[in-house]
Amino acid sequence: MTATSTANNQEQVSAVRTLTLGGAINAGLRAAMERDPKVLLMGEDIGALGGVFRVTDGLHKDFGERRVIDTPLAESGIVGTAIGMSFRGYRPVLEIQFDGFIFPAFDQITTSLAKLHYRTQGKLTVPLVIRVPYAGHIGAIEHHSESPEALFAHTAGLRIISPATPQDGYDMIQQAIASPDPVLFFEPKARYWDKGEVDSTRVTAQLDGINGASKGTAEMSRARVAREGSDVTLLAYGPTVRLAMQTAVAAAEDGVSIEVIDLRSISPFDYETILASVKKTGRAVVVHEAPAAYGTGSELAAHIGEHAFFRLHAPVMRVGGFHTPYPGSKFEHEYLPSLDRVLDAIDKVMAH
Amino acid sequence: MPKYQLFPLPDAGEGLTEADLVTWRVAVGDRVEVNQPLIEIETAKSLVELPCPVDGVVTKLLAHEGDTVEVGVAICEFDIDPDGPPAPEEPEPAAGSVAPAAAEGANPAGPYAPAGAGLDGAASASAGSSGSAEAGQAGAASGAATASGTSAQAEGQTGGGTAVLVGYGVKDGSAHRRPRKDGAIESIGGAGDSDYPVLAMPPVRKLAKELGVDITTINPSGPGGLVTRGDVEQKVKATSAQTLATYANDDQPWLETGYSSDNGRSTRVPVKSVRKRTAEAMVQSAFTAPHVTEFLTVDVTETMNLVAKLKVDKDFADVRVTPLLLVAKALLLAVRRHPEVNASWDEVKQEIVYKHYVNLGIAASTPRGLVVPNIKDAHRLPLHALATELQHLTAEARSGRVPPARMADGTITITNVGALGIDTGTPILNPGEAAILAFGAIRQQPWVHEGEIQIRWVTQLALSFDHRLVDGELGARLLFDVGRVMNDPAHGLVWA
Repeated sequence: MTATSTANNQEQVSAVRTLTLGGAINAGLRAAMERDPKVLLMGEDIGALGGVFRVTDGLHKDFGERRVIDTPLAESGIVGTAIGMSFRGYRPVLEIQFDGFIFPAFDQITTSLAKLHYRTQGKLTVPLVIRVPYAGHIGAIEHHSESPEALFAHTAGLRIISPATPQDGYDMIQQAIASPDPVLFFEPKARYWDKGEVDSTRVTAQLDGINGASKGTAEMSRARVAREGSDVTLLAYGPTVRLAMQTAVAAAEDGVSIEVIDLRSISPFDYETILASVKKTGRAVVVHEAPAAYGTGSELAAHIGEHAFFRLHAPVMRVGGFHTPYPGSKFEHEYLPSLDRVLDAIDKVMAH
Repeated sequence: MPKYQLFPLPDAGEGLTEADLVTWRVAVGDRVEVNQPLIEIETAKSLVELPCPVDGVVTKLLAHEGDTVEVGVAICEFDIDPDGPPAPEEPEPAAGSVAPAAAEGANPAGPYAPAGAGLDGAASASAGSSGSAEAGQAGAASGAATASGTSAQAEGQTGGGTAVLVGYGVKDGSAHRRPRKDGAIESIGGAGDSDYPVLAMPPVRKLAKELGVDITTINPSGPGGLVTRGDVEQKVKATSAQTLATYANDDQPWLETGYSSDNGRSTRVPVKSVRKRTAEAMVQSAFTAPHVTEFLTVDVTETMNLVAKLKVDKDFADVRVTPLLLVAKALLLAVRRHPEVNASWDEVKQEIVYKHYVNLGIAASTPRGLVVPNIKDAHRLPLHALATELQHLTAEARSGRVPPARMADGTITITNVGALGIDTGTPILNPGEAAILAFGAIRQQPWVHEGEIQIRWVTQLALSFDHRLVDGELGARLLFDVGRVMNDPAHGLVWA
């Protein structure tokens, strides 16, 4: 999204580039639009302005207003329109400007989008991606820092994924667009400026190959062991992966070896990877920004309890937001999981 | 006196950590005033003109046009007191005044942020009302790194955050760790809930169940009255050490790692190490290689005479000469006449592997169980060397320290069951070998010798072989040749 990265996007000078997460998603969108002329973008201010986070920067200029469409401020209309377009062979990629703005579209997403494949007995697929910048840590006003992923994960028929690194941002947005299923793509907005190396060859080879779409869908649904360890499995996704890595470093100083798993996919969860790790360590802690109550961590804790009961040395702990509305920005750091709160949970599970 | 102040690249409040410098609007030596255009920078959104934060004179430009500069890096330096008296010899270091300015710059809501960042972000730039001059003065006056502003702003400085279009900017949670509390871990999972009879982790309950221990009878030692794994094991040990159904003090070494049933009528010992390997090897061997065993009873009086002679031979004074040594030699001689027996069966590749060396295994009972170390390249060893090796191997086995290499890659084996007073047996092949010779006890027996019944030294030999690659006839010839040398060691001369 900087001038430098935009230039690189156009030139494709080398396979490995250093990009921000935002820049990587931008490059991924560009690659997807080049791969498939049916891919088009819709959202509020995503055109000439390039989106409030500049994730669609430059795409309007290069692909034109018929493929990068500025919409009215009407989320329900954006999603409803896109569902209709996907019936006719388009692959719309929508941007919901902020997490808290998605609710006008909640009905379209849960009532229509999620159910159409089922309702048509599998005759109809709805290849549609909804990008949602989400989560906090930016000191924003109300409706701009929420983590609503559990509300959608509870609805069958949607894929919910969230990248934590520039490489995943680049790969997963393309896998999501290629997938025949509706995907909610949650982008951790506080991580947009984190930089990392992005190798563009792998996902390209995958999606251009035989059965690229289904391989891509499988690949984006897989968790990643971000750091190996032996005492505690620390499960995180999107915005909290970096915190989990910091916790692992801090805990290592205390002699506790933490295995960090970047879940990447929230629905479905990659239980194979999760259970393999928990069975190895015997302890699990989940950390996400959304409230711990009724959250994705609760689902993980229950599943781990059901499938690894006799391997557990301690109950599965959840670290998340409190069961309150998202607070005013001055207090968000009290509300959001912090290094100390995760370490407290680690201490508790290690006491057993 | 000149007062120097650095100007760090401020966060323009547009969601970037860096910006490209486009055009300087001032040059070194220029006299500037607050809000005069200083430099034009390019961000993702647009060109932005940064206003000058101070009145004074530009003394240094620290970055060039076209550079990409990270937010917080100084791009120029001002003298904010150009009209004062000249500096003394040691000018006041500029660093003192830098800190607050840098801190202020890191705050996107600070005074240098341009107003009206755009679309959804009116909030981003409006907050900075405290004057830049004030910050500069505070720094210059005290040299302390305390900038004016609210406490939230002060926090923002340590966060090193990134600005965004909406909000105060990216700021991660504190990376500082408060001191960890010692031993004051809150209990979880209902531990400490003493109304229930037993508190235990699921794996511990499972262990107790498997070991047949009633978990309610265990004294807990864990936090909050939790029964731990150690408690269960302790309990098991305590229980099993009680009276066994056999005799008092029947605490045998092989029971040590096991646990006894509640009534003391049986003890279960986990199958481990040598016992486990032996069991696996024997099962594998017995169920893959079809075993055939042939027997031969031999008059070994001549061999015993030779043993007696060698025992007093001064060349053999430093080694132990035993009947086993001569059986080993006899087997080596026989293998030389029938090398097909020195082979193994490769099931995977469906090939027979003929070995052009003999690693002669000797089955040995050790404190840790049965092992089969072997003498490498035994076919090349003269009798004295063979005796030395055999003695060495026996000593190693007795001490229980047989290195794994000693047990690998055997080609044929002798098991000396006679040492235990047994006549003979039907030995099971060492896996990967095609034949094994059991050497029975040597006894004085009535024996027909040269047409008369005499008292002779007699023994029984038994040869088991893998019938997949050794036929009955080959086995018989091998066994018969071993017997011939044992019966008359002079045959060794004839064949060698």
